[in-house]
Amino acid sequence: MSEHTHHHHDDHDHDHDHGHHPEPPSDVEARALALESLLREKGLISGEEIDRIVSAYEHDIGPMIGARVVARAWTDADYRQRLLADPAAAVAELHPSGPSATNLAVVANTPEVHNLVVCTLCSCYPWAVLGLPPSWYKSPPYRSRAVSEPREVLKEFGLELPSSVRVNVWDSSSDLRYMVLPERPAGTEGWSEEELVALVTRDSMIGVARPQAPAGARS
Amino acid sequence: MIDREVADSLPRKNGELVFEAPWEGRAFGMAVVTHAKGVYQWGDFRDRLVERVSEGSTHYYRDWLNALEAVLLARGAIEPDELEARVKEYKELRRDPVF
Amino acid sequence: MNGVHDMGGMHGFGPVHVEPNEPAFHAPWEGRVLALQARTRGRWYHLDEFRNAIERMPAARYLDASYYERWLTALETLLVEKGVVTREELATGRAATPPPQPSPRPPDDRPPLRPRFRTGDRVVTRNAHPQGHTRMPRYVRGRHGVVRTINGPFLLPDTNAHRHSRDWEPVYAVEFSARELWGRDDDDAMCVDLWECYLEAEL
Repeated sequence: MSEHTHHHHDDHDHDHDHGHHPEPPSDVEARALALESLLREKGLISGEEIDRIVSAYEHDIGPMIGARVVARAWTDADYRQRLLADPAAAVAELHPSGPSATNLAVVANTPEVHNLVVCTLCSCYPWAVLGLPPSWYKSPPYRSRAVSEPREVLKEFGLELPSSVRVNVWDSSSDLRYMVLPERPAGTEGWSEEELVALVTRDSMIGVARPQAPAGARS
Repeated sequence: MIDREVADSLPRKNGELVFEAPWEGRAFGMAVVTHAKGVYQWGDFRDRLVERVSEGSTHYYRDWLNALEAVLLARGAIEPDELEARVKEYKELRRDPVF
Repeated sequence: MNGVHDMGGMHGFGPVHVEPNEPAFHAPWEGRVLALQARTRGRWYHLDEFRNAIERMPAARYLDASYYERWLTALETLLVEKGVVTREELATGRAATPPPQPSPRPPDDRPPLRPRFRTGDRVVTRNAHPQGHTRMPRYVRGRHGVVRTINGPFLLPDTNAHRHSRDWEPVYAVEFSARELWGRDDDDAMCVDLWECYLEAEL
């Protein structure tokens, strides 16, 4: 997750008696600063408006929608039930102004079953919750092998599953669009929804990866 | 707000929007907000963006910012000499980059 | 049709190649093609026709084309077939004839779901090989499976893609074992969404 920082240089010391020589902004950064300062002066925009838009697009488009749905399902057992029973309605609960998730199907991972999604015939993908599909998802190697040798494909993505776990591949051949609900990582007890969202990757909602582990994500 | 065509061209990492530096996010936000306020037509911005990106872009958001400048100048929202003067102020550290 | 697009189980494509931090488009024209499709679909053609147009590409051309090249080819094919543009106009880049009116919006004729099968039912897929569009992949034809979920009804692409009729049917996620499909000796399973007319009850 990227952070939003306003234009300031933490190491910019205004007291020049200390002999601190700040770096001038790059050409392009100076242009961005100049433009914003002029637009603000003319009353055309405000800083808060820009903050809101950047935040909305970074957090509400594409896989962030799916990630929020997953994080909510992890922390709220009733929501998880609603999600599995009527995915479109549950997604709309969290994201009423987003693209319609009609025909969304959610398949939940368990300790015994790992789910993987593919469209062998073309490239059907749950774009309403995951945004645009990556090229590899639409490629012949994935389309041909995800159904016939899923474990070998997962290994290429760095995921090795023990034989005690069954792999269940879903071929999106109809109007349904499939999304995987991954298992909540161990070691996240007591985490807030916001913290959990950061662990949910797009690849874990397709099924070629697990969510990120806590140790790496916590800063 | 942003049309799908441009939304789909934005740089992403694992599907999420990515800004390599804070100013890129600001440039993104400025384009969206000024458009939302009717300062320019989206097509005018998009066409200029596509023009620059199809010339073989190495830096998406620099092209984005240039396209935004161009459309705002064309619409008279800002004047060329005041923009250049302001840029100089920032480059010469005569203006605080903190808003 | 038994086209090269029907890739489940094929060999020879190599490892999955992941481009790190790939952009949504590798060139602006791809984004324009996406936008063109978004703005024309539903007006002169629908999604089943679009998929079928891609599938009708000659096999070698299909494999050689990039993803958005296939979209562009399908758009050219369909828009010419529907009389929206002519081949000459495409070649010259200059409009010469007015386009036809867009197709009327489809009727709101979706019936209630009345499934023939229930979850847990054992079914066998038909060994059908239609020349036209279908959404039953080759790798599951004539195979035994179990109904996992019941969905829809959805329009049957086999008839809708050719505008023969609008047939609403239940769609079942049918589970097939890896043993049944691939002769593999493991417990993995593949679920495929299948329209009701693709299935027969297992006797």
